[in-house]
Amino acid sequence: MTNILEVNAIHTFIGQFHILEGVSLTVPQGSITALLGRNGAGKTTTLRSIMGLNPPREGTILYAGEPIQGKTAYQIATRGIGYVPEYRAIFRALTVEENLRIAERSKGDLAKRGDLIFELFPDLKRFYRLPGGQLSGGQQQMLAIARALVPENQLLLVDEPSEGLAPIIIEAIVAALRQLAAHATVLLVEQNFRMASQLADRYYIVDDGQTVSSGQMADLVKDRPLIAKYLGAGYAGAGLVPAQSTTA
Amino acid sequence: MASFLRKNRPLLVTLLIVAAVLLWMTNRYEPKVTASILLSGLTLGALYFLVASGLSLIFGLMDVLNFAHGTLFMIGAYIGFTAYANPRLILNTLPFALALLGGAQAGRWLGGLLPARFKQRWQDSSFLVLTFLLALALLFIGVRGFNLEKLVAATATATGGVVATDLAQEAAGRFLPRIILLAVSGLFLGLGLSRVGTAEVRQRPRWTSAGVGLILVAAAFALIPIRTPGEVFLLSVSSNVRFVLALVIGLLAGAGLGALIESSLIRPLYGRVYYQLLLTLGLSYVGGELVKSVWGTVGFYMDIPAFFGGSGDNCPSPNLWSWFSDHCQSINVLGRPFPSYRLFIIALGLAMFIAIALLLQRTRLGIIIRAGVQDSEMVQALGINVRRVFTLVFAIGCGLAAVGGVAAAPFLGVNLGLGLEVQLQGFIAVVIGGMGNYVGSAVGALLVGLARAFGDQLVLSGIHLPWMDGVVRMSPSIARASTVLIMALVLLLRPAGLFGKKD
Repeated sequence: MTNILEVNAIHTFIGQFHILEGVSLTVPQGSITALLGRNGAGKTTTLRSIMGLNPPREGTILYAGEPIQGKTAYQIATRGIGYVPEYRAIFRALTVEENLRIAERSKGDLAKRGDLIFELFPDLKRFYRLPGGQLSGGQQQMLAIARALVPENQLLLVDEPSEGLAPIIIEAIVAALRQLAAHATVLLVEQNFRMASQLADRYYIVDDGQTVSSGQMADLVKDRPLIAKYLGAGYAGAGLVPAQSTTA
Repeated sequence: MASFLRKNRPLLVTLLIVAAVLLWMTNRYEPKVTASILLSGLTLGALYFLVASGLSLIFGLMDVLNFAHGTLFMIGAYIGFTAYANPRLILNTLPFALALLGGAQAGRWLGGLLPARFKQRWQDSSFLVLTFLLALALLFIGVRGFNLEKLVAATATATGGVVATDLAQEAAGRFLPRIILLAVSGLFLGLGLSRVGTAEVRQRPRWTSAGVGLILVAAAFALIPIRTPGEVFLLSVSSNVRFVLALVIGLLAGAGLGALIESSLIRPLYGRVYYQLLLTLGLSYVGGELVKSVWGTVGFYMDIPAFFGGSGDNCPSPNLWSWFSDHCQSINVLGRPFPSYRLFIIALGLAMFIAIALLLQRTRLGIIIRAGVQDSEMVQALGINVRRVFTLVFAIGCGLAAVGGVAAAPFLGVNLGLGLEVQLQGFIAVVIGGMGNYVGSAVGALLVGLARAFGDQLVLSGIHLPWMDGVVRMSPSIARASTVLIMALVLLLRPAGLFGKKD
């Protein structure tokens, strides 16, 4: 399996604050890789650094074997990286249709991918002409994911899709992300360890701006001390309760 | 229905107040007076809208408060007026601008080609300063001794004829070297500019920009031999054609200046609000002084084009329909003549409103702009070059202001004070409507325009309330104060403006 993304020891500053102090990770093609860590560990900044929104000062980022660090966000995006930011950053004043259409990189993208998107998220078809701001939280999250699906992205950076959503909605999103994995590689930042452990094949843990652990998700689930150390005791409990309805 | 009322409450309340004032006016004044107040208000509103819409678009997308907007309005008026009355000046100065710009484009492209090692050394050393000094020196040599006064002097008598062309205008043999020098100066300027700023701000220019540069330089050279025949031709066509040309040239000049300002000066300052404020404020003074240095301090009067300037026994036109055949200077509105040119200003404002609304609602660019107003970073993360959209929107906004200036010239005259008043009212309109809201800026502009016209009438006739003995006269400045008063009232009741969202 080749690596679609390789992040090597990046250092990122926000203002004068040294946020990332050498984060490294690799994402194999076709996998779902989870990026874990407590609040403020640097997960979101890592995604933003990859995306070029907070360019790293040091280190390299290789996408499909080519360096992309220092390029502008739009250049990075057009190479085939989709970004689903936290807080469901859809365009509230735009209709669902416009939210999807703006993501087109060439004319006809939406027509091509429409079937896939509406199969994953039938709600979006129902509310096609409604302003995004009037959708529910879950629907907004679905729209944010769908938006990243409009062009043929090879890699999706998904930031906390479960945040603030009801469990039943989270299940729908888990199912959608699982289907998605057939079309694109996913790098998933997630606080909800149960969700992450259901989805991901591999994991990385960042703490204080550094990668501190990595490996197979199946091993992490068994490693209670590691979970307790970096993700907190509550995390451990949540992760080890087997999921009831989504054991497929 | 209830939700519709709740959602549009500010608009409905505004309409109610406007309707009440109207009712009071029809009660107090004759219908013809009311009608002419309304039309005057609409005229002013249309002009204010042309300024406010640009301000609003630029603020909405880029969070830049452009204090140079009024100056662009004024520059538009001067350039439009010049194109209308003295095409010689345009034909003799346009090559300079084209050569400099074209050279700069080519220079930026060349700068992107330099080998990396050389680039680094160049940026760190005084080479950069030397490049700019060289460019400036070439520029000064290029324009030295160029007799601008003679070209401008023709303005006053321009409509009189083409007699002095050869006296005022330099022969091609003297003119050509200047253009060559300016193109080279532009080349160095572009080379230098390509090395300014951090890597994040800089973009590697593509070869198309070099192509555009070459075309511009070629156009500059091509213009040299057609200066005289061009002037003869332009002065021979009807004033209507020249007026349309003036509008187009004003639009292009405003948009071009806007694009230049955004891409060179404002771009490095995004996110640094105070610097931007100082920059645009400073630019407004620079623009004013530039206009003064070219056209002098004496204002001009621009003739109304023939289309709106007819006279004769059947004038003023009894109604709008007959005006379409006789083109009278004024139209009879309920027994009182109203200048037909002002109706054109209203129509222009309306046309621009619709055009921009269609652009925002129906095109991909419009979707990008509306999305960028909320979150320009996310737009960029979708693979859209937001910087280019910023430049484009800045250009559109400045172009709108400049067109407003051209349209205002025959109505308000061409003078140095033109921009300031309009900019103030434009800002008030934007604040009333809600910062960054396009429809809000239109409604705000209308309110401000109507308030001005109504205030003027109040000053003229004085206030007489039932319990008063006589008529109270007010100073004319009350008309100007009235708009500020409305703004204060709106801000007290709705701090985000009539259409603004609280977030």
